[in-house]
Amino acid sequence: MSDTILSLDDARLSLAGNSGQVDILRGITLEVARGETLGLIGPSGSGKSSLLMLMGGLERATSGRIIALGHDLTALGEDALARFRREHMGVVFQSFHLIPTMTALENVATPLELAGHGDAFDRAAAELALVGLADRMDHYPTQMSGGEQQRVALARAAAPRPDILLADEPTGNLDGATGEAIMDLLFGLRDRHGSTLVLVTHARELAERCDRIVRLRDGLIDTGEAPARAAE
Amino acid sequence: MTLPIAFRIAGRELRGGLAGFRVFLACLALGVAAIAAVGTVRESINAGLEREGAVILGGDASIGLTYRFAEPEERAWIESVSETVSEIVDFRSMAVVERGEVVERGLTQVKAVDDAYPLYGTVGIEPESDFMAALDGTGGLPGAVMDRVLVDRLGLAPGDTFRLGTQDFVLSAVLTREPDGAGGGFGLGPRTIVRTTALANSGLLQPGTLFDTAYRMRLDPGTDLATLQAQAATALEGAGLRWRDARNGAPGVAEFVDRLGAFLVLVGLAGLAVGGVGVSAAVRAYLDTKIGVIATLKTLGADRRTVFLTYFLQIGALTVLGIALGLLLGAVAPLALAPVIEARLPVPAAFGVHPGPLVEAAIYGALTALLFTLWPLARTEEVRAAALFRDAVFRPTGLPRPIWVAITLALLGLLVSLAAWLSGLAMLTLWAAIGMVAAFLALIAASLGVRRLARRLARSQAMRGHTTARMAFGSVGGPGSETTSVVISLGLGLSVLAAIGQIDSNLRGAIARDLPEVAPSYFIVDIQNDQMDGFRALLDANPAVEDVQSAPMLRGIITQINGRPAAEVAGDHWVLEGDRGITYSATPPEGAVITAGQFWDADYTGPPQVSFAAEEAEEMGLTLGDKITINVLGRDIEAEITSFREVDFSTAGIGFILSMNPGALAGAPHTHIATIYAEEAAEGAILRDLASAYPNITAIRVRDAIDRVTDVLGGIAAAVTYGALATLITGGIVLIGAAAAGERARTYEAAVLKTLGATRRAILANFALRSALLGAAAGIVAVIAGGLAGWGVTTQVMNTDFVFEPGSAIAIVGAGVLATLIAGLVFAWRPLAARPAGVLRARE
Repeated sequence: MSDTILSLDDARLSLAGNSGQVDILRGITLEVARGETLGLIGPSGSGKSSLLMLMGGLERATSGRIIALGHDLTALGEDALARFRREHMGVVFQSFHLIPTMTALENVATPLELAGHGDAFDRAAAELALVGLADRMDHYPTQMSGGEQQRVALARAAAPRPDILLADEPTGNLDGATGEAIMDLLFGLRDRHGSTLVLVTHARELAERCDRIVRLRDGLIDTGEAPARAAE
Repeated sequence: MTLPIAFRIAGRELRGGLAGFRVFLACLALGVAAIAAVGTVRESINAGLEREGAVILGGDASIGLTYRFAEPEERAWIESVSETVSEIVDFRSMAVVERGEVVERGLTQVKAVDDAYPLYGTVGIEPESDFMAALDGTGGLPGAVMDRVLVDRLGLAPGDTFRLGTQDFVLSAVLTREPDGAGGGFGLGPRTIVRTTALANSGLLQPGTLFDTAYRMRLDPGTDLATLQAQAATALEGAGLRWRDARNGAPGVAEFVDRLGAFLVLVGLAGLAVGGVGVSAAVRAYLDTKIGVIATLKTLGADRRTVFLTYFLQIGALTVLGIALGLLLGAVAPLALAPVIEARLPVPAAFGVHPGPLVEAAIYGALTALLFTLWPLARTEEVRAAALFRDAVFRPTGLPRPIWVAITLALLGLLVSLAAWLSGLAMLTLWAAIGMVAAFLALIAASLGVRRLARRLARSQAMRGHTTARMAFGSVGGPGSETTSVVISLGLGLSVLAAIGQIDSNLRGAIARDLPEVAPSYFIVDIQNDQMDGFRALLDANPAVEDVQSAPMLRGIITQINGRPAAEVAGDHWVLEGDRGITYSATPPEGAVITAGQFWDADYTGPPQVSFAAEEAEEMGLTLGDKITINVLGRDIEAEITSFREVDFSTAGIGFILSMNPGALAGAPHTHIATIYAEEAAEGAILRDLASAYPNITAIRVRDAIDRVTDVLGGIAAAVTYGALATLITGGIVLIGAAAAGERARTYEAAVLKTLGATRRAILANFALRSALLGAAAGIVAVIAGGLAGWGVTTQVMNTDFVFEPGSAIAIVGAGVLATLIAGLVFAWRPLAARPAGVLRARE
């Protein structure tokens, strides 16, 4: 395995619930190598999405350390985390999370603009063309199907050529065929840009497209399995 | 069965609480409260005037005469029906104070009284002492009391002497309260009260001088005023009397209060319309969250009617609550502020809960709520059960079913008709309604235009690289934005304010800019016939005098037109209100334009003829050949209208509605009126010379009169501005409501933007910019709408030139930006502080 791009050391996450503190993650230690694709699987409530949020600096760990590209995410402030994401990370969500007041093109161009790219719109247009939406650029999210919205979200995450691509059940809200197409696009973009991919999914067959699978149960890593493809 | 089921479901739905309806309730309650409060104050003043009618009038009834005292037989009749009679003489004069070489002069409205005055109420003087004793005077001089304004202006103190005409008086005290002061209407000079008998040697009450007399009567408490009025009309027929009684002690004031009150209710309705935008937005937002419930109800078998009634009943219950809150506020606020309001009113007010205006406000509130909630409610019909299974959010577009459009138009018609009927200002209401609907449509069009422009700008090449600006434009122009409700609600409030600003500044501008160029320096009245030649000669010898115009003047009342009572023919035209100035001349006045008929020949000696002002004649429906009866000094003169003339009152020069041939008024005692045109610097010297030579004349400085008029207009503008502020506050609530409603969307947007790498500063800048853009848009639309309204009123109603006033316009746009910026930023903190993971997880 080559150099480590992301490492978690006894990362824990507790959130306040109605009946007191709930331990979501109870000590995760994990390393992800540059260029690796990692599948996170596990039953509902096992902490997969929360772990992804910690990796993206979208959630703050209660304790432990998270190092990404040499930066200690647990030590960074909110704005510093935002700058880090703008330069190094792309995130895809199950519910797409497109900004409803922006067109597809504007949604994709926004992270590029935030990162100060002068050619944000040209690159956004090219990225949308890559996901097959060249003719839907001026449409608002509400004017698109779920599959189309997720393709916009993929293009938005991939457009800045992130070092790390985080995807949280990107096919969870889509039918089988559309989900399959999205996964092809996701892996295709990852291959094209050479990003490290961490994929949260329920579907074992999707996870098996990754180099490595990590299973979570009750906020802990259950077992590390041999990479499906690597084993071939 | 539908209604009971709808009732039950509505009840269950409302168990969720009123949290989402704060803006709905606030908008409705405030609009209703403003109208209820204005109505309550108006009713309180009217009740006060009614209660104090006899005090304000100075008696249970009053017979007024122009130019003359009552003849002995008239006086005898008045005394025969009264317990006590008090004779009052009222006229303008100059109070003169001489201190060696220095002579001070001040215009004053003199009230000369007898020992019976006042029949009701008490006169307040300072230092406190017996009023009649104060009029007795000291050291052989009769006494007088004088309003503090004039006392200060003339530098007097109790014990000092001053002169009226040729009679010296000693100032006994300062007049602090004149019980019958409110009934007299608009006066140019502060009050001085003296005894009538003290004026015998003043030279001021000569035949022909301009004075009014009033015979105030204290009547037996059981006297029927209407019957007595009829008896007076018969017994004193042809006397040219003006009858007033305690049923309406101050008709001018009551009418003014009614009109201003009605106008403020119209302004209040504008506020309610602004609130309607908030009400509509709140109902829309509420029903958006209920689409799933509606679809579920339909899946379970609820028909369209049941669904509509379910939500109609909910909104109806909230409307009743909002109106009740508004009525409570509108009834209580005037009571709480009664001491403050009373202190500023020149008339008495009986504050209390008056049901009439509360009912009026409730009806307006209910109709407005219905008008603004019907369309969103009608949308519930269009939600299909399939909405549950759709990916996209259900958003019906276009007009609702024709029946709802028809009902809406009918409601609008009902609201406008009701306002016209209740205000008694049908035309003004109609124009206001047209203006409001036009402003609404213009604001809707403007908001659509703003959104389209913002969308274009967001996509333009120029915005590339300016992420904050692009995002702000994008959200202003994007779907689901607050643009429409903010531009309409804030824009409407600001439009009213902008219109008032433009009208007020143009009116003041016209007075300050145009009038002095054409207006004379002085009006001189009460110049006796035998003084005219000397008066002319004195002025002709003064090189600073540019021009002098004079005309003989009498006063009279038009009592009949073609043998019928004048009011029956020409209604309540202002020319028929009280007495009018009448002049005579053998030839047309210099520069006169005869628009129809022919002016009599210079040597005409036939039956009386009259030349009438053309514009007023047309308004009154007069034609050449009509016969009008004019009562002059108790004598009826019937004259034929033989010509119409153009009379221009805008120059403040001499202008008479009625001009007669000299023979018609032969023998009638009269005086002359003159206007003097002179350089401003010489005005003081001219007055000194004239007053020394002719102590009986009264000089009215035109600049002072204009200032007085400007003050009154300023007061009215202030009252209307307060009304407009209520509209603006409602607009502010709608704005806050829109900002609060958008908070969830902004929180989500901020979370996504943070995920994409935006810092809080960048997000804050984006939110601030979009707020400022909306405020600026509302402000600019308001300035255009207000400018148009200002232009309309200035050029069409006031007939003066319109000059766009940029100062208030800039202030309006600035206020719009500031208001939206504050509202936007207050509701930006939570979105900025929220952690993205929590927000996004909640949406998964």
